[in-house]
Amino acid sequence: MTVLLWILAVLALPVVIAALWFTGVFVKELFSPSPPGPDPTALAAERLGLLPAERQDTEHAAPPPAAWSAALTAARGGDWAPAAELLRVNGRDWERRSTLTAELGTLAAEEDGWLLAWEAARPGDPDAAVVRAQSTVRLAWDLRGAKQARYTSREQFEGFGRMLSAAREEIARAAELNPEDPTPYVVEIWVGLGLGYPHAEMEELWKRITSRDPYHYGAHHAALQYWCAKWRGSKELAFEFARRAAADAPAGSLLTALPLIARFEHDETTDVAADSTPEMLALVDAGLADAAACAADDPGRPGLAQLRHLLAYYLHLQDRHEAALQQFRLVDGHVDALPWSYRGEGAASYYCRVRNETVGVVAEAV
Amino acid sequence: MGATLRALRALVLLLGFYLLSLVLLAVLVGVDVVAFHWGHGPAVVKLGFVTVLLAVPVVQGMFMLRTPKGEDAPGIDVTEADEPRLWALVREVAAAAGTRAPDRIRLTGEVNAAVSEDPRLLGLLPGPRRLYLGVPLLTGLTQARLRAVLAHEYGHFTGGDTRLSALVVRGRVQLGRVIEQFHDRADGKVAAERAKQEQAQARRVAKGKKAKKVDTGGSGATYRMMAAVYTQYAKLYLRASLSTARGQEFAADQAAARIAGRDATAATLREIPVLSASHGFYLDSYATLGLGARLLPPRGEFFGGFGALLAARAEELEGLRARLPEEPASPYDSHPPIAERVRRIEALPADGRADEATDPALALLGDPARTLAVLEDAVLTDEVLRYGRAPGWPELLNASMASGLSTTRTPLHQALAARTGQPATLAALLEIVDAGELWQLAERLPLSAEAKAARGRAFREFARPVLHRSLRTMVLAEFSACSLLSWDFSWSEPAVARLPGEEPAAGDAGRSPQESLEVALDAALADHPDTTALRALLPSASQPA
Repeated sequence: MTVLLWILAVLALPVVIAALWFTGVFVKELFSPSPPGPDPTALAAERLGLLPAERQDTEHAAPPPAAWSAALTAARGGDWAPAAELLRVNGRDWERRSTLTAELGTLAAEEDGWLLAWEAARPGDPDAAVVRAQSTVRLAWDLRGAKQARYTSREQFEGFGRMLSAAREEIARAAELNPEDPTPYVVEIWVGLGLGYPHAEMEELWKRITSRDPYHYGAHHAALQYWCAKWRGSKELAFEFARRAAADAPAGSLLTALPLIARFEHDETTDVAADSTPEMLALVDAGLADAAACAADDPGRPGLAQLRHLLAYYLHLQDRHEAALQQFRLVDGHVDALPWSYRGEGAASYYCRVRNETVGVVAEAV
Repeated sequence: MGATLRALRALVLLLGFYLLSLVLLAVLVGVDVVAFHWGHGPAVVKLGFVTVLLAVPVVQGMFMLRTPKGEDAPGIDVTEADEPRLWALVREVAAAAGTRAPDRIRLTGEVNAAVSEDPRLLGLLPGPRRLYLGVPLLTGLTQARLRAVLAHEYGHFTGGDTRLSALVVRGRVQLGRVIEQFHDRADGKVAAERAKQEQAQARRVAKGKKAKKVDTGGSGATYRMMAAVYTQYAKLYLRASLSTARGQEFAADQAAARIAGRDATAATLREIPVLSASHGFYLDSYATLGLGARLLPPRGEFFGGFGALLAARAEELEGLRARLPEEPASPYDSHPPIAERVRRIEALPADGRADEATDPALALLGDPARTLAVLEDAVLTDEVLRYGRAPGWPELLNASMASGLSTTRTPLHQALAARTGQPATLAALLEIVDAGELWQLAERLPLSAEAKAARGRAFREFARPVLHRSLRTMVLAEFSACSLLSWDFSWSEPAVARLPGEEPAAGDAGRSPQESLEVALDAALADHPDTTALRALLPSASQPA
C-alpha cells in the first residue's frame, strides 16, 4: 500500500509543479497585464488621416449634403417644411429624389407625426405621398428584421406582409400624383421582393422604371437584389441582369457596380484566386473608369460612394493595394455600403480591418 | 422468422433483463466488499447504505413476476343476444381467416380496433380472446371496411402474434417499471434534498450568514445513472422486437386483403388516419365544447355527432386521404408508416372486388342510438355525466360561447387590470383610449421579444393585432352579456358570431354589422384612436350615462 502511495506521489509531483507555475503566470497577468501590442497598420492608417472604427458613420455610404441633414433634423423635431422644400427644389433629378425619399421614409418609419402634419397641411402633395409609400415599405422591413427566414417569427412575417400590402395602395397613389417620377416604382421593387412578385410582374414594373429613367442607380441596385438567388431569382439571372445593365449604360452611370454586387452576393467560397481572373480584373477596371467619369461629371451623385467601396474591396482582393487605398481615402468615414453593411454591427470594424491591411501592404512596399 | 424462433428470441431478451439485473447486483456487492476490505469509518457505512438503496429497485424489478393486469378500456360488452348481426359478421370473418372467433366483444369510444388474448403458460397455450371495437370507427367505416379491419386483427391471431406478444409485453412492462422506479426515487431524493438545504439556508440567514445557493444537482444522479443503464437495454429490446412487429402488420394486411378484398383494405388503411384525426378534432371542437360551461351535448350525441361532422366535411376529408403519413409515428412504433402499408396493398393484383357493402358499419348494431347513449355512461366520468344537457348543438354552442366569453381573460384584460388595479372592463378601456393612453397601455401587453424591442411605429404595428383580437373579444363579451350575441353552428365551418342586426348607422349603408364592427375596432386602435364609432355600436346598457 505504502509503495503504491510513493509511486503516485512521484507521478504527481511534476503535475503539481506545472499547476503552480501556470497559476503564478495567471495571477501575474491578472494584476499587471502586459499591454496589447499596438497595431502598426492602424497607426499607419491614422497617420494618413483615416478614421478608426468607432468614428465611422454606419448610417450612410457617403456624407449627405448639409441641407439634407438639416431637413432631416427639422423633420425629427416635427418641422416638415424644409424637407418639403428640398424635394420641391430637387425637381426631376430622379436619382437624388429617390435617395432623399429613402432617407425621409426611414425617418418616418420610426415616427410619422411630422409626415401626418405635412399630409394634413398639403393634401395631394406628391412629395408627401412618395415619402408615405417609402415609409410604409421601410416599416415593413423593420418589422421583418434582417435575419434569415428561419430566424424570423410568424408574427414578424405577418406584420411584414400586412405593411407591404398596405404600401401597394400608397405607391399607386404616389405614382398617380406624379406620373413621371420613377421613385414610387423603385419603392415597389422592395414590395415585390418581399411579397414575391412573379418574374413577369417584376418585368412589367421594370419597364415602368426604365421608361422614366433608364440608368437609375437605386432602381438597378434594388432590382438586382430581386434577381439574386437569395430572393426571387438565381445566380444566372442576377449575373445576366447585371451584365446587361452595365453593358448598356453610358460611362458615369455607376451601373458597373452591378456585376461586382452580383459576384459578391453569390460568392460563397473563400477562394481569392477567383477574384483575380482576367474577367474580374476587367470588371474592376471598368468600375474605376466609370467612377472617374462620374466624379468628373457629378461628384455628389448617389451611388458613387457605393461603387468606390466595392472597388476598394475587390482591388484589395486583387492585391492592387495602391489603387485600393486611393478608393478607401475617397470614402473613408462612411461605411454603410456593400460589402461591409452585411456585417451589421461589425460593419465598421470589418471595413477598418480590410482598409488597415491595405495600408499595411502599401506602407511596406514604400 | 418463424413463430418458434421469435418465441426463443423474446425469451432470450427477457432473460437478458434478468442477467443485466444480476450483473448490476454483483457490481454493487463487489463495491461493498472492496470498501469494507480497504476502508473503515463512517464513509464505508454510508457507501454500504447507498448500495443497498440502489439494489432495492433492481431486486423488486426481478421479482415482479406477474405482468400487471391492464385496466380494461372503458366500454360496453355486447353479447350475441344484444348484437346478433355484429356477432355474425365477426364470426363470418373469423371463419374466413381460419381462426377462432373472440369470446367477448367490447365497444369502446376510440377510433381503434384491437384484439387481445390472455394466453396461459407464457403463451404456450391459447386463452380467451377479446375484440375491442371503437364506436367512432363503426361510425366512419362502411361494412366492407369493417370486415377489412376485423380481418387484419384476425391476421394477428393466425400469425400467433397475440400469443407470443405476452412475452414481449412482459419484458417491456418490467423494464418500464424499473426505469420508472429509479426516476421516481431520483426525483423524490432531489425534492427531499432541496427541502433539507432550504431549511439549512433559512437557518443560515437567521444567523446572519450569507445564504448559499440551493444546489441539488448531485443527488439522485446515481439513481438516474441506474435508470440510464436500463433505458439502454430497453432501447435494444424495442429495436429487436420492432422489425418483427412491423412484419406482423404487413402480414395481417395481406390477410385482410385476401378476406375483405384489395380495394376495401387499401381504402380502410387510407381511412383510418383520417378518421383518427377527425375524431380528435371532433372531440376538441364539438363533443367537449361545453365542458367549461358544465354542459354536454344531447344524450347520445357525444359520440353521435361524429357522423354528422364526417358527412358535412366529406370534401375536406377527401384532401386528407390523399396525403398519407410517410413516417412512422415514432422510431419505436410497432406499426409501419401507413403510406408504406397502402403501397404494398395497392401493389397486389386486382381481385375484381370493388369496395363493396357501402352501408355504414354502425347500422350493424340493433339500436345504434341506444348504444351511443349507453356508451356515454360507460366512457365518460361520473362527474362529467352529472353536467347538464343542452337541448341541441346550436344551444350548446351558444351557451358555451357565452360562458367562455364571460370568463375569458385576453392579454388586454391583463394589461388593463395591471394598470388600473381594478377588474378590467370595456368601459374602463374605452376611457383609457379616449384619454390617449392606449399605447402606454399596449406596453403592458404580453408581447414577443421582437415586439418589445421595437419602438415607435414598429412597436404599434406589432401590438395592433394583439390589441385588435383582444378588443374584439371584449366587445363580443359585452354583447354576449346583454344576450345580444348568437353563434352560427356549423358542422363544416368554424362558429361565426352573429351580432344583432341593428339598423346600419347613416353613412354605413350596406355595411354588415360585422364589417361595421371591424371598422370601429380599427378606428379605436388607430395611431390617433377614435372610439366614437365603437361606442355607437355597443349595446346601450354599456354606454356612459
